[in-house]
Amino acid sequence: MKIASFFLLPIIGFTVGIFFMGLSRRIMARIHWRYGPPLVQPLLDIIKLFHQRSISHGVIFEFGLLLSLAGGIVTLLFIPIGNICALNMSGGLLVVLYLMLLAPFGIALSGGEAANPNVSIGISRKMLLALSYEVPFLLALLAVMVEYNTISIVEIIELQRASSWGIVSLPLSGIALFLILPAMLGIRPFDMVEAPQEIASGPKVEYGGKFLALYTIERAFHEFIVIALFVNLFLGGANNPFTFFIKMLVIFTPFICISAVFPRFRIEQAIRFCWRLPTILALIGLIIASVWR
Amino acid sequence: MILEVLLIVAFGGAFLTYLFGKISSRLRDVFAVLVSLALVVITCLLYNKQQQIVYFVFFDIPLILRSNMLSWFFGITIVGIGLLSVIYSLGYMGKEEELDYYYFIMILINASMIGTVFSGDFISFFIFWEIMSWSTFLLISYKGGKALSAGMKYIIMSIIGSMTMLIAIISLYVTCGTLEFSSLVSQVKIASMSYNLFLLIMFGVVFTIINAFWPLHTWLPDAHAEAVSPFSAVLSAVLVRKGLYGLYLVMYIILGLNILNKLSFGFISYNNVFCFIGAVTTVFAAFSAFLQDDSKRILAWSTVGQGGYMILGIAFTTAIGLAGGMFHVLNHCIYIALLFFVAGAVEHQTGGIRDINRLGGLIKRMPVTFIGGVVGISGLIGLPLTCGFVSKWLIYKALILENHPFLAFAAFMGTWGTILYGYKFIHNIFLGQLPKEFEDVKEVPFSMKFPIILLTIAVILIGVLPGIPLKVINIINVSAGFKALSINISGVISETGVLNTVNIFAAILAVLLVIYLFFRTGAESERVPQEDSYAAGLYIPIEKYHYTVKFYDPFSRLAKPWLKDRIDNFYGWLTRIVGKTAERLRHIYTGDLGFYLVYIVLFLAALIFVQIICRPW
Repeated sequence: MKIASFFLLPIIGFTVGIFFMGLSRRIMARIHWRYGPPLVQPLLDIIKLFHQRSISHGVIFEFGLLLSLAGGIVTLLFIPIGNICALNMSGGLLVVLYLMLLAPFGIALSGGEAANPNVSIGISRKMLLALSYEVPFLLALLAVMVEYNTISIVEIIELQRASSWGIVSLPLSGIALFLILPAMLGIRPFDMVEAPQEIASGPKVEYGGKFLALYTIERAFHEFIVIALFVNLFLGGANNPFTFFIKMLVIFTPFICISAVFPRFRIEQAIRFCWRLPTILALIGLIIASVWR
Repeated sequence: MILEVLLIVAFGGAFLTYLFGKISSRLRDVFAVLVSLALVVITCLLYNKQQQIVYFVFFDIPLILRSNMLSWFFGITIVGIGLLSVIYSLGYMGKEEELDYYYFIMILINASMIGTVFSGDFISFFIFWEIMSWSTFLLISYKGGKALSAGMKYIIMSIIGSMTMLIAIISLYVTCGTLEFSSLVSQVKIASMSYNLFLLIMFGVVFTIINAFWPLHTWLPDAHAEAVSPFSAVLSAVLVRKGLYGLYLVMYIILGLNILNKLSFGFISYNNVFCFIGAVTTVFAAFSAFLQDDSKRILAWSTVGQGGYMILGIAFTTAIGLAGGMFHVLNHCIYIALLFFVAGAVEHQTGGIRDINRLGGLIKRMPVTFIGGVVGISGLIGLPLTCGFVSKWLIYKALILENHPFLAFAAFMGTWGTILYGYKFIHNIFLGQLPKEFEDVKEVPFSMKFPIILLTIAVILIGVLPGIPLKVINIINVSAGFKALSINISGVISETGVLNTVNIFAAILAVLLVIYLFFRTGAESERVPQEDSYAAGLYIPIEKYHYTVKFYDPFSRLAKPWLKDRIDNFYGWLTRIVGKTAERLRHIYTGDLGFYLVYIVLFLAALIFVQIICRPW
């Protein structure tokens, strides 16, 4: 089982992430009164891109991208999905927090090797966006760690099973994290990082062919990790992967509806948004959690 | 015996280097490297040896050298970084003037630092400390001009610190009758609590200054930025951390855990105050670094900020926090030396440019330096598989499990600030567009490449196998009365959580390999030059865009009003006031005898007046 989970987790992550991509395009199309592509379209795109010729700017250009994808997959190994968990004993939530850095860092290095100013602007926006959502995100995570007095995700899930879901015992932190999820996922109104109309898709502008395919896969994993983390910490995880998937779907769908109708924030507006309501909620949540103990 | 040899080689080597320099510069270079190498070898011989020797008796006060794990731990970092920076200097200093003097002071500083960590009583400690302070001043102001005023700033703060330490030492001698560390341990136990607090505050001031904790950090950014790069590395990696050695010595060895735990008034305790200072230092420095445009100034601020992590760990009286703090001392010493070497290499090759906004795109021109920079920054951020990760993990864990989430939050925010300025450092120097004037920049010579490569390997090696230094740190912890952590070569095993870096390393490596094989099966890609880039049909200008130069401008505009260094301004104001007052006072010396007679008569009159009115005598 343990060995199998090493293979199962990336497969589940990939499938669900790609499914969410397809789903979001589909739902968005319906809101826009279009028909929309089939659900498997992102997968078809990846296969097609993989067989297209491409350009490369050098070793770091390739290595950074590989590193970011590897970072995504390794992060996944630390996150329990239902009853499947690969590396639950190696450091817990703190390691996940740091491993989540590998992906953007890899992309940033890779994109930077090309002398394209659009990439630089995109990455600078990504860094600032990350700074703005990390503040409420870390406050919420700290509330969870303090409330359950552990840094292991598996134990947090077990403790939630014993009492109530995290969203019930830590409502403010849960809401705060929910509010910043679109920023973490990078979907509109927080898609200033890739803003295609302004900076030609930002960090990914230089990618073509198999590079773009890998980048898309990395995004799929990222989407999966962020939502799975929320489900694990605030919705009590799940007993089997299927229930887990349903919970993820429930969390993800509202964001698609939001992103279909809202215009894009500027980066300052995103910082202001994240540092107001979500931060205040998360801060109060953390104060309550630490005083309560 | 070994201890005496160590000091003789260190100090003798410094003077001989100067003399050999007068004969031939080649001889001097070789000799300087040999002396530094000999120091490393001798220090290695001291590993795990408990020794104590009296080397001199000064008016019945024995001056003692002693070696134990704590001093060895700091000693090995000093001699290691010392050796590498001397090697680096060979290339970096090139044909500068007064090189005899430079190498002399460089080795003298190393020698005095070794003296401070191996001394076994406060007299020796103070003497070596003063040699260190003064020779540091000489080397900070080596380049003159701006560097001189940075050096002045340093020496003024350093003298204030030394004076407070001197007061504490004298009072210790008067109260306890001895200045020997081992006999002081039993003596201070019977002293009153308020006396212990006095001691801690007096020693706290000097070590806070040298460690550059907020609010006494103001000397550091100037000094680090203006000193020559190899010396900046020494300054930032080991010299600043002598303050932590001192704090550890006074807090845990001399006073001990029992007394520290009693020193609290309600919520506030001595340790909590230091934790608070650490948290403020971390966040403030991280975001100040973020606004800097000078490559070495960024690193200088990061030194201030990382000091905050160390004190968060060390002031936190749990075994795990202490281990984290100590481990971070070692890690910081490795990656910050690496980063200063990288910044120095870029400065050297581009003709002295430190403004990172004018650089860019050097990745293809200086690949080794680039790799060093990326690994160093990863260590600074604490990415998994670099050394900074393990120590930060330990510190966070200590903070969270002891229910101090706000301190942990400050530490996390410090890390985020670090990510932002760290990436800016890498991007603006090595990535993005290459300015025309740097098109034929070359890689650095071997003597500068060698330290960079060695430290790069060290960052990753310790990150993957943290058990090696943790074993040493465990011995130190046990000697201070803490429980040993259960560790193995690949990380920490304890009841409250497991960290296995080898697992993570293996996972990342395996996944990378799989992805690489998968990647290879895709259609071929064609290598194109850096500049051949795509802009969706738009024209890309040769000059840089505003936002690629001022990397975080939208945020800087928001944050700048909040991040003024008011403390520095306050000290500047204080200096000006003192200067003006002194200037006015000077005018009473007119040089005319009549005036002086009038002063004397007025003074006597005042005395008589006081006697008539109040009758004090």
